[in-house]
Amino acid sequence: MERNFTLIILFAALICALGFVPPITLISGVPISAQSLGVMLAGAVLGAGRGALAVVVVVGLVALGLPVLAGGRGGLGVFAGPTVGFLLGWIAAAFVTGWVVSRLQTRFIWLSATIAAVIGGIVVLYLCGTIGMMIVLHKTFGQALLLSLPFIPGDLIKAVVVGWLTAMIGRYRPGALLSRAH
Amino acid sequence: MIEIQDIVFRREGAVILDGLSLRLDTPRVAFVGRNGSGKSTLLRLIAGLMVPQAGQIRVTGVDVARDRAGALATVGILFQNPDHQIIFPTVIEEICFGLEQQGHPRADARGLAHQALSRAGHPDWADRLCHTLSQGQRQMVCLLAILAMEPRWILFDEPFNSLDIPSILRVQAQIAALTQNVITITHDPARVADYDRVIWLEQGRIVGDGAPGDVLPAYMSAMEQAAREAPC
Amino acid sequence: MLSLALPGTSWAHRLSAGVKFGVLAGVMAVMAGLDRPVPLAVAGCAVLGLHATLGWRGLRAGALAMRPVLWIVGLIVIWQLALGTAHEALVLTLRIIAMVGAATFVTLTTPLPDLIALVERLAAPFARFGLSPRLPALAVAMVLRLIPVLRGRMEMLALAWRARSRKRPGPRLIVPMVLSLLDDSDHLAEALRARGGLTPTKLPPRRD
Repeated sequence: MERNFTLIILFAALICALGFVPPITLISGVPISAQSLGVMLAGAVLGAGRGALAVVVVVGLVALGLPVLAGGRGGLGVFAGPTVGFLLGWIAAAFVTGWVVSRLQTRFIWLSATIAAVIGGIVVLYLCGTIGMMIVLHKTFGQALLLSLPFIPGDLIKAVVVGWLTAMIGRYRPGALLSRAH
Repeated sequence: MIEIQDIVFRREGAVILDGLSLRLDTPRVAFVGRNGSGKSTLLRLIAGLMVPQAGQIRVTGVDVARDRAGALATVGILFQNPDHQIIFPTVIEEICFGLEQQGHPRADARGLAHQALSRAGHPDWADRLCHTLSQGQRQMVCLLAILAMEPRWILFDEPFNSLDIPSILRVQAQIAALTQNVITITHDPARVADYDRVIWLEQGRIVGDGAPGDVLPAYMSAMEQAAREAPC
Repeated sequence: MLSLALPGTSWAHRLSAGVKFGVLAGVMAVMAGLDRPVPLAVAGCAVLGLHATLGWRGLRAGALAMRPVLWIVGLIVIWQLALGTAHEALVLTLRIIAMVGAATFVTLTTPLPDLIALVERLAAPFARFGLSPRLPALAVAMVLRLIPVLRGRMEMLALAWRARSRKRPGPRLIVPMVLSLLDDSDHLAEALRARGGLTPTKLPPRRD
């Protein structure tokens, strides 16, 4: 019980700490932040339930008015803005990523984890994010999706990185991948 | 020889080092002082990991802050806790990293790393996972990773802090046996009693500089004085 | 880490957190349905006025919170103007400013302890499932304590990297970070158990 709690707390702190890492700017001019890496990794390493709870803690901190999002953002204003779908969608992204990692038994962890990160961290996340934008900006699904398109290449790279990181963690400390512990 | 000229270093508005100058050319140098005296900052500046706002540091002629390639070949630095320094899962990868970064092709780096392990008497460590080694052994891996890069100076930032007594004595012996020049930071004077030179820093300034027999007793009585004065 | 709430006090600080949240929910529901410029402009001015009652620091904090939103709003405004629907662009901008501003106002005037107390009250019914009602406060306190520790550890790893390489450290450093977290979780769990653990237990009967 306590160990689950501390794992969730530590990963939540990691996701927040990753928000302080300076973003890398792609050639297209779009900045990519390390924070969503932590979200997908939470699911991939801790599994669906614990990973999602770690993100719930982070979302809770934002609601409590703490500036834990990349760029020092936080507070209820984020929930009223256009990115609310992405913030709440992080919870689903971590859950789905963790779920796919535990279900998809391929020989290569990096493959399972990358596929999981793409399904969770891109398909599911952008679905939630786009719906959020639709609601806040009164746009159609297609229009909202268009607005999010520039960020997809960066997130695809991140998904591959998550796959690689998960494989590294799993190879050198097999017991570490709680998502695959059966 | 290390030449430190008029170093000024500020962080978040606070002045940590203010116009410090030193010339270091003995094989064993120690920095002592209280926490916050600027010793760690000075060490990182000597390693070229930070850039001073004013002044210059040259290690055997290399401007360590600006010439990073030269710096990597000249000065190596080890931090207190091996767990916060080891980046790679296996010992061989950890040792190879610096060698590859210096330009050795992967195969050469591997060979050199194996040699370094053999010289240290641990050829069997190569494929061991770092986290299965003991604290003292991990510290050894960090040291070997730096030694493999063949620097002229090796800097130790509080190397004894997280170790038990046998490990402390072992590390002391390892440092004594090094052919490179060494700068050690510690707040335990017994560890550096046999060094050539002890420099005592207080709030970014040098308040003592000389043979251990001269500086260390003055440092110790000042520490005892501080303990008596400070409310607990 | 400091919360975004403005330090000190004000008329709004003294209102209960529950009341502020309730009112905010209602206000947001109303604003979401508005789609004409005049009512939205009135709402926007009201929100601006609320921030003004907190003084210059209120207005400054409100503007800061608005910044990340404005770039995307700006993009859409340009898009709408290009399509010839300036009316929609105006309505959109006003509504977002009003809604984000209202939400920000609650954040600025509700200190962290008030919010945690609110969360604990809401979590109280779940105590029957064996979860300590102190859990939210504990979780928040622990995460806030751990964030600077983890940042420091990442900086240390970055230093250890730069001590051996001229290249910028990359995502590779996350691997030792995660592995160290897994070790830490064991130690932290032990420390928690030594202080009574997470599930509230009944005290043993007194032997008198």
